[in-house]
Amino acid sequence: MRPGRIIAKAVLAFAGFLAVFPLLWTALNSLKNSVDIITRVPRLVFTPTLANISYILGRDSVITGLYNSVVACGTAVLIGVVLGLPAAYAVARYPNRWAGDIQFFVLSLRFLPPVAVAIPLMVIWLQLGLYDTLPALIVTYSLLTISVIMWLAIPAFQAVPKEIEEAAFVDGYGAYAVFWRIALPVAARSLIGAVAFSFVLVWNEFLIALMLSSSNAKTLPIVASELSQQGMNVPWGILNASVVLLSLPPLLFLGVLSGFLNSVFRQKKT
Amino acid sequence: MPRRSSLPVTFVVPTLVILLILSMVPTLYAIIIALQNRELSSTAYSWVWFSNFVDLFSDRRFLNAVWVSVKWEVVTVVATMVVAIGLGVLMFEVASPRLRNLYCLLFIIPVLLPRVSAAFVWKFAYHPLYGIATYPYRLLTGGLIFDPLSKPSTALFAVASVDVWQWGLFFAVIVLKLLETLPPQPIEAARLDHARRWQIHAYVTLPMLKAPLISLMFVKMIESLRSFDLIYVMTRGGPGVATETLDMYAFSQGFIESGKVSYASAMAVLMMIATVITFTMLWKRVQA
Repeated sequence: MRPGRIIAKAVLAFAGFLAVFPLLWTALNSLKNSVDIITRVPRLVFTPTLANISYILGRDSVITGLYNSVVACGTAVLIGVVLGLPAAYAVARYPNRWAGDIQFFVLSLRFLPPVAVAIPLMVIWLQLGLYDTLPALIVTYSLLTISVIMWLAIPAFQAVPKEIEEAAFVDGYGAYAVFWRIALPVAARSLIGAVAFSFVLVWNEFLIALMLSSSNAKTLPIVASELSQQGMNVPWGILNASVVLLSLPPLLFLGVLSGFLNSVFRQKKT
Repeated sequence: MPRRSSLPVTFVVPTLVILLILSMVPTLYAIIIALQNRELSSTAYSWVWFSNFVDLFSDRRFLNAVWVSVKWEVVTVVATMVVAIGLGVLMFEVASPRLRNLYCLLFIIPVLLPRVSAAFVWKFAYHPLYGIATYPYRLLTGGLIFDPLSKPSTALFAVASVDVWQWGLFFAVIVLKLLETLPPQPIEAARLDHARRWQIHAYVTLPMLKAPLISLMFVKMIESLRSFDLIYVMTRGGPGVATETLDMYAFSQGFIESGKVSYASAMAVLMMIATVITFTMLWKRVQA
């Protein structure tokens, strides 16, 4: 048993190292000059420079990409919250014979290959004169955020103890007041997790943004991927810096999402 | 709960109508485009009905893309589940509660990264001369070059490793949480019968978790289809067509090489039909 345990612990430690080391290395590379990156033996000791980061933050394309990403993702998530949360609550609390079908429909939107959605939408937006604009991107992303938020919020609302809501009805609350004053606040922690999840999903989205934008509406992932196509002299340091910038917003939700996972599985137990 | 309230209608109907419009319009339009001969360069088009679909089946690159996609699905789904169950069980067995929390936090990080970021991180790491992942090889062989991304035999696995890095570690956290929700009695009973630890998991705990594990696999099958960004950044379908999946080929036919939007759409429609039928059947079986 003893050697087995030691090996098991070593494997786990190695997996933990593997999980974060590549990202830490990238962060380190973003602080290096090219000469310190392009070495046959990786260099841990070097003179740090902020040149890459200031180059990235000084570029118009990056700032536009950042702005587009924030506006497109933020608005789409907002639409997802406004339309998705009430719908999820109604499906969870007012069961009818369509509830199962609605849930399956919402999930099945996830089966659609992104290419199959992006090609026709490109043609549609071109015809409407909205191609390469933020509204087109926001509408397209809303499909994603509404369905994901609904999918995750239905179980969150179901987990709210029915007795609390019934007590509120007895106290004379209307159906809408129960939703606002009781269900939303009680389920809030799980709901925030669901919303954060949908944000990470659209922030990370690439294919649809790539096909629906050509210059004005490019999001940050597209801008970052284009930086790598600058001919033979790959600007490694700059690329590493842009990877770090792109990765920061989703990582900010690390705590929220891990709390969300915990609450989801705690509910299953009871 | 009061039976008569306008709430379900006002809450559900607008959302569903919007979802239906947002999903049905592109879906139907994809089918319409696939039956025409639209190109990016001109606005003229005519109806060609099924000739795009007929052409696809004599297109060797398309058949290759189907094969690559199938390989990609099998490799990533199987490897993700193996890594997830392996690490999940290890955490359950040897990690203290405090360490478990730490590992859970670390293992969620890769999946949060945008795929574009993950792809870049590993593209540097796999660089034959300067990469950190290829460094041990250079060190051991005295400077020989190992270039996994540009060899046809290894490229798919090199890209798949990034996908497994992102999802396998994340799913390990979920497997651990699933194990933690199990009742302890059957495990203790098996222990009293002198079952070895791996036997306990192989014959007791994992069979108890069959249903959630199958759901997890189902989720991974869906997510594996969204690997375009990873492949686009790391190999662009290359070397040759070694990593050209269906969405990659559809994208390059429709936008990069020839602008044959209708041809690309025909491919996307076939993909859509295949995934909707497969996943609907699987879902009904999982639920049953």
